[in-house]
Amino acid sequence: MSALPRPSTIFLAAITSLVAVLLYSPLFVPIVSSFFIISHGNVDWSSPTLSTYVALAGNHDILAALRTTLIVGVCTVILSVVSGTLLALYYHGRRSGRSVLQFIIFLPFLMPPIISGLALLIFFREIGLERSLLTVVIGHTVFVLAIVYRTVLMRLQSMSRTLVEASYDLGATGWQTFWRVILPNLSSAMVGGAILAFALSFDETMITILVTGTQSTLPVRLWAMMRLGFSPDINALVALILMFTVLLCVLAARFLIPRQMATERN
Amino acid sequence: MSGVGSTQAAERRLSQLVTVLAFALPVIFVLVPLAIFLVYSFFSVDQGTIVHSPTLGNYVRFFTDPIFLPVFWNTIVLCVSVAVICILLAYPAAYFLTTLKGRWRYALLMLLLVPLLMSYVIKIYAIRSILGLNGFLNKALVALGILDQPSTLFVFNMNAILLTLSLLLIPFAILPIFLSLERIPQTLLRASDDLGASSLQTFLRITLPLSLPGVASAASFVFVLAIGDFLTPQMVGGISGFTFGRILYSQFGTAYNWPFGAALSVALAIVVIAAILIGERFGRSRGTSV
Repeated sequence: MSALPRPSTIFLAAITSLVAVLLYSPLFVPIVSSFFIISHGNVDWSSPTLSTYVALAGNHDILAALRTTLIVGVCTVILSVVSGTLLALYYHGRRSGRSVLQFIIFLPFLMPPIISGLALLIFFREIGLERSLLTVVIGHTVFVLAIVYRTVLMRLQSMSRTLVEASYDLGATGWQTFWRVILPNLSSAMVGGAILAFALSFDETMITILVTGTQSTLPVRLWAMMRLGFSPDINALVALILMFTVLLCVLAARFLIPRQMATERN
Repeated sequence: MSGVGSTQAAERRLSQLVTVLAFALPVIFVLVPLAIFLVYSFFSVDQGTIVHSPTLGNYVRFFTDPIFLPVFWNTIVLCVSVAVICILLAYPAAYFLTTLKGRWRYALLMLLLVPLLMSYVIKIYAIRSILGLNGFLNKALVALGILDQPSTLFVFNMNAILLTLSLLLIPFAILPIFLSLERIPQTLLRASDDLGASSLQTFLRITLPLSLPGVASAASFVFVLAIGDFLTPQMVGGISGFTFGRILYSQFGTAYNWPFGAALSVALAIVVIAAILIGERFGRSRGTSV
């Protein structure tokens, strides 16, 4: 943008800082309380403690929920990456029926989760599928599929057609071309999509609440606990999850951004 | 030779399987559930069991009962307000980002988007503790002398829902606005400058109109996410903060009337589709490809 007069730059910077403060203050609260004791809204800065982390290690209920979340996340990632990639490969370069089916794939992502969740809830009941972790995994997969599909499809579209033609010219079969040329080119998009899918699954709350059985994932467990108020060790867990999430973001950026910049430069 | 033939046959079978899957997966797990859901909205409930005979009763109830339409309307107003607040905060921030150079621009953008990926439930809880009677907001307002004593104005009512949803959804407004601002060709701004326009004139007559598609997408994103949320109102809304999402959710819990809940969902879906279409219509950028 062109140079702005000084007062407006200061005004814009002030609003931006305000937005940053607003966005980060809700994250700041649990992190501070994981190291310091808070009573009646006052932080006791004098005595930092790690006791919340020790207490967390003994909270089997929460650790079980965390394990459930990880299991659901991994299953969701596997299912969504496999089916998302297949769908992207199938619809890439195909015109007939693509826009309609693509729209269907995107629906659960566009619709409010309460609608997707309730639709699945009734669907599972109609086909007689008991609510369990399986239904949660299906719900999550349906939800994140659009992201994986889109990530892979965009990579396919930016991939040069000549690579595949060269492979066929050199006498490779369809299989060989797929395994040696197409798949390696897609791998970083698939990893990026997998990380996004995992991050979304890890925090998915609204669909999960509707389709889960007796075993609950971490967000649902936290949601149930929240009515009664959290014990301090939850703050420790939150601080750890935040660190983990930031790590995931950095990884996702690493897998997704460099390639896109490279293609832009070409 | 037969080896080659059987690989080809295997490939053909595989591609047939992929074709079937490519159509079956989205249809079975997305379209069929939504269709059943729609059909359910025409059923009714009698003494705790679902009656599978078609009726318009649920829709009649929605339009005639004095409870539902006002709540529906209030929720729409609430979510429009959330969208307005988000855009008022996100637009200057996104504009500021585009004034930065190279690396800084994207680092700061990332910084403003990262909170999106952090636990939704925890954020709601933290915001509630900030807004509460003993929370940081009240403490700050009392310390600044704006309030004499801590107020319950910000928790367990509609204000609380408005503030919490706005805080949660700002990043969704920043991204589309940033992208539309970034797409504005620099040459246009320079031309405007050369022709003697002040920076305010340039902003009002070039930047703002060209960034409106981004604002429209941002508004529709935020609105759709806000109206579908039933966790936030449940958590910070208390008794007075009753939103459509909460009523809808209660039909599948305490009220136990799935068909009526399905009818309410249809109403919600219509508003959401309208919002997405409006966002699409005005979100399509015109003239930025100059």
